Amino acid sequence: MGGVEDDEPASKRVKLACGELKGNPNGSLLSEPSVGSSRDLMARLLQSEDDEEVIGSKGVIKKVEFVQIIVKALYSLGYKKSGAHLEEESGIPLHSSAVNMFMNQILDGNWGGSVVTLRSIGLKDESTIKSASFLILEQKFFELLDAEKVMDALKTLRTEIAPLCASSNQLRELSSNLVSLSQGPSAGSSNQANLRAKSRPKLLQELQELLPPTVMVPERRLEQLVEQALTLQRDACVFHNSLDREMSLYTDHKCGRDQIPSKTLQILEAHSDEVWFLKFSHNGKYLASSSNDRSAIIWEVSANGEVSLKHKLSGHHKPVSSVSWSSDDHKLLTCGVEESVRCWDVASGECLHVYEKAGVGLVSCGWSPDGKWIFSGVNDRSISVWGLDGKEIECWKGQRTLRISDLEITSDGKEIMSISKETAILILDREAKSERVIEEDQTITSFSLSRDNRYLLVNLVGQEIHLWNIDGDINLVAKYKGHKRTRFVIKSCFGGSEQAFIASGSEDSQVYIWHRGSGELIGTLPGHSGSVNCVSWNPVNPHMLASASDDGTIRIWGLNSHLQQQKKQQQVHSNGGSIAAACNGRT
Amino acid sequence: MDVDPPNYDNVTINDSDVHSIVLSYLVHNCYRETVESFAAGTGMNQPADYLEDIEKRKKIFQCALEGNALKAIELTEQLAPDLLESNKDLHFDLLSLHFVELVRSKKCNEALEFAQTKLTPFGKVQKYVEKLEDFMALLAYEEPEKSPMFHLLSLEHRQQVVDSLNRAILAHAKLPSHTAMERLIQQTTVVRQLLNQDHAKDGHPPFALKDFLNG
Repeated sequence: MGGVEDDEPASKRVKLACGELKGNPNGSLLSEPSVGSSRDLMARLLQSEDDEEVIGSKGVIKKVEFVQIIVKALYSLGYKKSGAHLEEESGIPLHSSAVNMFMNQILDGNWGGSVVTLRSIGLKDESTIKSASFLILEQKFFELLDAEKVMDALKTLRTEIAPLCASSNQLRELSSNLVSLSQGPSAGSSNQANLRAKSRPKLLQELQELLPPTVMVPERRLEQLVEQALTLQRDACVFHNSLDREMSLYTDHKCGRDQIPSKTLQILEAHSDEVWFLKFSHNGKYLASSSNDRSAIIWEVSANGEVSLKHKLSGHHKPVSSVSWSSDDHKLLTCGVEESVRCWDVASGECLHVYEKAGVGLVSCGWSPDGKWIFSGVNDRSISVWGLDGKEIECWKGQRTLRISDLEITSDGKEIMSISKETAILILDREAKSERVIEEDQTITSFSLSRDNRYLLVNLVGQEIHLWNIDGDINLVAKYKGHKRTRFVIKSCFGGSEQAFIASGSEDSQVYIWHRGSGELIGTLPGHSGSVNCVSWNPVNPHMLASASDDGTIRIWGLNSHLQQQKKQQQVHSNGGSIAAACNGRT
Repeated sequence: MDVDPPNYDNVTINDSDVHSIVLSYLVHNCYRETVESFAAGTGMNQPADYLEDIEKRKKIFQCALEGNALKAIELTEQLAPDLLESNKDLHFDLLSLHFVELVRSKKCNEALEFAQTKLTPFGKVQKYVEKLEDFMALLAYEEPEKSPMFHLLSLEHRQQVVDSLNRAILAHAKLPSHTAMERLIQQTTVVRQLLNQDHAKDGHPPFALKDFLNG
C-alpha cells in the first residue's frame, strides 16, 4: 500500500536505506544498493500491508516491531528524548494509547482505573486479564495495609479480590496479612523494612512480564537478539580459544589460527628415557611427567609461563606409567607398571605412602574427589580402593580393568571408568552399584574424561579417536582422524577455552589438534624426534600445551606471539646473562 | 464361636456399680435435677457443693453453645482459675468461638480488631499460626458459609470445643474426664471387633452398638 509511504519525506526513505542490517550471522553480506535506488526500497515496502511492512533482505523483519524495540532500547538506556523523538518521527508509538494510560494509572496508584483500562488493551486471554487484575488489586491491598488502613484493606479483600480468586490458598495468604504476628511495636510504625507492598515500578515490571509481548514490548529485547547473534558467531568460530569475553559488533567474530598454541616455547630434558605420560595440575601451576626411567618429575609453571623443575620423584623400581593429581593439587599419585602406587607430597617432594598388594601388581591410579580414597587398577583385573592410611577398603573383582588401562573418576566421585575388555569401557556407578558399558568395534588403547564429566574421548587402534556422550544415553558424537598410531599407546585429551579442542600425540612425532565441535583438524605441530605419547592442555591457560615423547623430552607449546616475545627477551639476556637450562628458542 | 455364649449369665452385676455408672453419666453431662432425683431414688449420698459445681458447668456450656464465648470464659475463670492458663489450646479455641460469632453476625471490623488483640498473641507458637490463618481466611469471604472453612461456623465445631472444655474442667477438679459408661462401651466395641476378626469366616457381621441396642 503506497498510501502511507507517499506522505513521508524523501530523506526518511534514504535514512532507512543506510540504517539496514549489513550482515547476518551466516556470513552472507547484504549487498546494499546505494542511496539512489530508494525505488527498490519503496518497491519492497509497497509489497506489504501497513502493519506487516518488512525490512531486511530476507523479508522477515517487521518494521513496526523493529522500530519499537529500538525505541524501547533507547528508553532503557535512558535516552528519553531520543526515544520520544523516534516514536514521533517514525509514526510508530511504542505503546498504544490505552497501554500508556494503563502504565500511568499503575504508577499513580489509580487501581480502579487501571483494572478498567486492562479490559480495553485488547487482551484475548481471560485468564491473563484475571491474573493481571489480581496483581493490581493485591498491590492495592498491601498499600492500604502499609498505610495502616486495615479496614479498607479488608473491604478490598472481601469485595474486590475474593470474587477474582480461583485459589482459596491465595485468599488465605492475603487474609493472614490482616493481622500482624510480629512482636515489635506495631502501633503506628510502618518503617521501610516492614512494608509489604512492592514498589509500583516493580509491579509494572511484573505486569509487563505477564502481558503478551504484542501488547507491551519486553525489556531488553534488542540486547537479547544481539547476544543471540554473538553466541552463534562464537560457536561457529573454529579457532576461538581466548579467555577474554569481548566481541565486536562491527564484524562477525572469527578468530585466526594465532590463538592456538603452535610453537615450541620450551624443551624440558630432565628425563633419561622415554616420557610416557604427563598431566597439568588442576590449578595449572604444576606439570607432572612420568617416564620409562622409573621416575616422575613435578615441574613448576611460573606466572609468566616458564616451566622449571621442582622435584624429581624416585623410588619406583619399574617404569612409571601414569600420575594423578589430587583435587587440591597438594598430592600426586604415581603408578609403577604392575608394581605399586606411590603418594607424594607436592610441596616437599616426599613420598608419603606406598600402596601395594601382595602377589599382584597395580596398573593405574586415581584420586577420589574428596581426597580420602585412592583407586587403583590391578593386574588381576580388579579395581581396589584404599584409604589414605593404606588400608584396603573395597575391591571390585571380575573383569573391571585390563593390564593396560586408564582409570578415570567423575568429579562428584560417583562413577569410575576403566577399560574392562579390549573393546569396551566400563562405567561403574559406585552408589547404585550399576554398570554401563561403551562398546567399540575396535580395540581401545586409552581414554580421557571431559571436565564436565559428560564426554569420553577414546583412542582406538585403528587411528581414530571417538568422542562419546555419557550423560544420560550413551552415544557416539564425533570422530577425529589424521594422526598415526600403529604400535604404541597414544593418549589424547580435551583442552583449550571451554574444552573446545582435542589434542593427541602421534607416532609420526607430531602433536595433532582438532576443533571439537566440527571435527576439523586445525593444527599439526612438528618438533619432537620420537613418537609423541601423551599431551596435556593447561586447564587454566588455554594457550599452553605440553607433550611427552619417546625422545626423552617434554615440549611446552604456546602461541606464536609468545614465541616472538621470548625471542626479544633472549636478545636482551644473551649479553652475559644465564638462561634457564631448559629454555631455547629453537622450534 | 457363639457370639452370645451362655456363660454371660455367670457374671454377676452389682447394683451399686450400675448406679455409679449411670450417675457418672448424668453428672458428666450436667443433668442436675436428674442427678438429684436419681441419687434420692437409689439412696446414694452426694456432697452439697457437688450439685453447685454441676450447675456452674452447665451454665458455661450453655453460654458457649449459644455463641457467648466471652461469658463462658469468664465463668470458667471463676470456677477453675488457672485452667485456661495451663490449657492454651482450649483458650484459643474458646476465643476463636467469639471471633466466629462476630463473623457470623457480619461484624467484620470488630472481628478483625478482636483477632488482632486477642488471637495474635498466640501466634508465637507455630501451630496456632496455622489455626489463626484458617480463621482469618473466613474474613475474606462475603459469605463465609460458602468458604472452604465453613465448618468453623458450624454447631458441630462448637460442640467439639464445649466437650473439650467439659473434660478439662472435670480433670481440673480431679474427676474422671471420661464417664464410666463411655469407657465401657468403647472397651466392648474394641473387644467385639477383635473377636470378629479372629472368627470372620464364621460369617458374623461386625459389631454395631446400634444393632445391639435394638436387640
